[in-house]
Amino acid sequence: MRKGFIFNHNKCVNCNACSAACILENGWTVHPRNIFTYNSQAEGLIPLINLSLACNHCESAVCMNGCPTSAYSRETVTGAIILDELKCIGCRYCQWNCPYDAPRFDSQNKTVAKCHLCYSELIENRQPACSSACPTGALKFGQLTEPDSDKVFSWFPDKKLNPAIEFTANQNHTPLKIIPENIYEEKDTKPDKEGRNITTDLSLIIFTFLATISVATIISSLIKGVFPEKIFFPLILLIAGFASFFHLGKKLRSWRSVRNLRNSPLSREIAAFIVFALVASVSVIFHIPGLIIASSVIGLILLLLIDSVYIYTDRSKSVILHSGQTFISALLIVSFISGIILPFIFVAFIKLVSSVHSLYVKKLNSTNFGIRFLRIAFLFVPGISLILHNSNTDRPVIFIFLMGELLDRILFYIDFNPLNINTLIDNKLNIERDEKKRC
Amino acid sequence: MEEFLTACPRNCYSTCSFRVQVENDRILRILPYSGNLATPEGPCIKGLSYIERTHSPDRIIHPLIKTTSGNFKEISRNVALDVIRDKLGTIKETYGSKSILWYRGSGMSGLTNEIGYSFWKAFGGTTITYGNLCWPAGLEAVRLTFGSIKHNVPWDLENAKTIIIWGKNPAETNIQEIAFIIGAKEKGCRIIVIDPLRTTTADKADMLFNTRPGTDGALALAIAKVLIDNNLIDHEFIAKYVKGFDELKQSLHISPAEAEQITGIPSENIIELALIIGENGPVTILPGYGLQRRKNGGQTIRCLLLLSVLTGNIGKSGSGFNYANLQSYIFDDLKEPLSYYPDSEKDMPFRRTISMAKLGADMLNTHNPELKAAWIERGNPILQSPDTNSVKKAFSNLRFTVVVDQFMTDTAAYADLILPAKDIFEQSDIIGSYWSPYIQFKPKVIQSPGEVLPESEIYFLLAKRLNLNVSNELIPEPGNDNIERWLEKRITGYSEVTLNQLKESPVLAPGLQQIAFEDLKFETPSGKIELYSLEAKEKWGISPLADYTGIIHTPEEEKFPFEFITPNTGSRIHSQFGNLKIIGETNPEPAVRISPLDASNRSIITGQKIKVFNKTGELICRAEISNRVPTGLVVLPNGIWFNEGGGVNHLIAGEETDIGYGAAFHDNRVEIERVD
Repeated sequence: MRKGFIFNHNKCVNCNACSAACILENGWTVHPRNIFTYNSQAEGLIPLINLSLACNHCESAVCMNGCPTSAYSRETVTGAIILDELKCIGCRYCQWNCPYDAPRFDSQNKTVAKCHLCYSELIENRQPACSSACPTGALKFGQLTEPDSDKVFSWFPDKKLNPAIEFTANQNHTPLKIIPENIYEEKDTKPDKEGRNITTDLSLIIFTFLATISVATIISSLIKGVFPEKIFFPLILLIAGFASFFHLGKKLRSWRSVRNLRNSPLSREIAAFIVFALVASVSVIFHIPGLIIASSVIGLILLLLIDSVYIYTDRSKSVILHSGQTFISALLIVSFISGIILPFIFVAFIKLVSSVHSLYVKKLNSTNFGIRFLRIAFLFVPGISLILHNSNTDRPVIFIFLMGELLDRILFYIDFNPLNINTLIDNKLNIERDEKKRC
Repeated sequence: MEEFLTACPRNCYSTCSFRVQVENDRILRILPYSGNLATPEGPCIKGLSYIERTHSPDRIIHPLIKTTSGNFKEISRNVALDVIRDKLGTIKETYGSKSILWYRGSGMSGLTNEIGYSFWKAFGGTTITYGNLCWPAGLEAVRLTFGSIKHNVPWDLENAKTIIIWGKNPAETNIQEIAFIIGAKEKGCRIIVIDPLRTTTADKADMLFNTRPGTDGALALAIAKVLIDNNLIDHEFIAKYVKGFDELKQSLHISPAEAEQITGIPSENIIELALIIGENGPVTILPGYGLQRRKNGGQTIRCLLLLSVLTGNIGKSGSGFNYANLQSYIFDDLKEPLSYYPDSEKDMPFRRTISMAKLGADMLNTHNPELKAAWIERGNPILQSPDTNSVKKAFSNLRFTVVVDQFMTDTAAYADLILPAKDIFEQSDIIGSYWSPYIQFKPKVIQSPGEVLPESEIYFLLAKRLNLNVSNELIPEPGNDNIERWLEKRITGYSEVTLNQLKESPVLAPGLQQIAFEDLKFETPSGKIELYSLEAKEKWGISPLADYTGIIHTPEEEKFPFEFITPNTGSRIHSQFGNLKIIGETNPEPAVRISPLDASNRSIITGQKIKVFNKTGELICRAEISNRVPTGLVVLPNGIWFNEGGGVNHLIAGEETDIGYGAAFHDNRVEIERVD
């Protein structure tokens, strides 16, 4: 039978002994084990629940499958998922993929670090440091007996990945009764910002946007029968490739990133980009028409692979049919540059619907309202120019058009939500808080 | 690698047993020891942190002397001891030995601490402190009522049907008790927390009664009245075992409606609580120490005691009043709190005029001779004694201060000479517990680093240098074998407990009552539980009955609108452990907590520096807005070092509790303002 963590939330008081024991045993510079608290601000009328969580060493280990460098492996005796930090390039794709927030980026070592289940201890029949140290007995390690138990929190990521963790207490729905009522004047704890912080995604935005433009340029040149500019075009590809390095913790190890073509969408994306960049550059520099056709096909595949990197990890389905997907953007750019009006109207309409929908779904008072509004406005400029004036060569119009597409790409990263335990807690808490207020 | 069984000797309820793995004088691992039924899952985060603490690069491992420029310079052990000999010798000759203050804190417990007494006695006596900063008002209240201080074994808590956690926060200060509380809850026990704050323990409770600070006595008296008026009391138990019921009944005058005015708890909820206590036994009350650190602290605990006594929740499984359990303190000739009292050791040549609670003022007011020197061990009085400004002034006035410590604490920084102190793994000792019923052995498992010596060896070498006439029986020669021989001798006469037995496993205290008072015998003057205590009146000048004396603030104090509470937290034992890296990494940044409403009224946001002040002093600390703090309260844990924005005692006047010579830490009011 499978072994794993057994947790009784009733006994967890957020003392952090588990987290400290993990660090003291293994000398981490990050915290592989953390306490996630539902209602961490102790709002009245809402139950408060602590959950101690590290890696659950899932049967379907998405961290391992998604890792482009094959830095993850499964230890055979214990089933522990282990990260070899020497192979990790610090791309942080596993952080998107893991719904339990287990992989942690170590800003000192510039790689990810993750719980290894103290597997060498386990092999010798001892306990992981964390469960051994829990002073209340809330966290244990042993045989899992009820893998399909319904004793699970409504905000716990769904158990499709088959995590090696089990809960022994029912979720307590009765909040603390506080006497006298209303003694606590609570502050509004609702987050004032929506969407992800995209500063770490900046290099990815540049990379994917330039790749989109390159592919669109190649296809347009095929349609028009004119080769792109000999120096400028390869330069854009070079910048795109260069930009993609910047989000890596270990840039010198980036060659490892194509070592998991079989499973990792990220590996495939990178490989496709390399192939596209080579074939397209050669065709442009040496004016080889046959290769233009080949690179157009490869380019479309590349964009689909870029989009698949995000769809693979997008548990909240936040970017399915997002207006900022590279494939959709490329189609719009191609139809604009080539001056084919009907396809342009069709794709632009899809984008418009998607953008207006986002504007509607995200609250209108949100911090990103301005960007969303501009994005929509910028879609009309090339539309009017192309449809009413049959013109697609005005530089200011092209500039505004591309700016609109760039904003779309930025919004894509803002909206992209690889749902994990943190966001699940926030979402559920928002719902519960609204319910209580209505009562 | 070797593995040893040991125990944690800090000033903490739990006194955990644990296993320690050692290799080449390094602590590798700290693991639980399931043989101690009170702490089967092992120690808390502080206990785990010994891995860092013992080998911390910040640890002082060589003697340090203060130079004229005010910095510390490393010196050898021999030079340090010579300096001490010369300085103390001269001061003794010129001013008399009583011009030296010997100050001991509660930093590490153990029988070997007694060796200091032998040294200072041979030295000619010193000035020492009386009283205790922690818990004596409550201890005295329990002693006056039951005659002795004990409660059921911790694991019996699981048999309770109602647990009332009254001013205690075991989730942080006695974490192993949480396992038993939840054990009881999972069997259907109702958990009730009574506290001015929403503590992390309250997160585990069914009900939280948020009383106004200092008014718990009034709440208890009102509940007692409801119990009697509704005939929810145990008449048979009272008739047989209780003295003073009739007097009490006549004296009870606080109705639930009046209590609502005082405590803020609506009268219907007071009645609800009384009915729970009266109808859902067995009831265990877990009182904390915070609510007795007040000028009405002793009487507050006597009020709470009424509820256990009137309902007959004494001497039965699942019941009790768990203030402290001193059943393992078998080696003490004089048990706490009596040992704290000024006249307790008349034969000792100590002159005990210095109050723990009023340390600074008393030091400054001591004459004939004035204080000229101090020796501080196991303590941090600059940070932890009330009225920091007066304490600082008093220590600044001294000519020579020796501090024995492991770290550069706020007190060590005031020293003229620092001697490095042992850690818990560096000398054998025997410890009891004030919660669990075990007597435990704590072996030496590693060599001390650098020039660290245990106090017993410091005293031995110093006695030689000073040519004191003291036998090796009292101050053993250096070497752990000699200490173990000394311990063996110290515990002869208690045939049920031998050193060899203790080395095997923790030993239950001889004569232990797993269910305290199950024989219903009480060592009071009347042989009964005394709700009416003549001793209370004669010794302390308080009412022989429990009563509630309201909080009276002077007009001067009324100018400061906030009640100031200084609780303990899970990351520290008073001022210990907070300096360690692992504690800093895994705990929130120190902060003074205020309610959202008070914060918005003063335009304070989380993370901002604020000034907290009153007539005693002021401090500046990071603010944190917290839903756990009701309006009108300012909360800053004690024990946070000055450099982290701590030092609650800047704001605490040096005052004693009504009984027991404790310190009234929680009777202070403050004002806050933004620092821009």
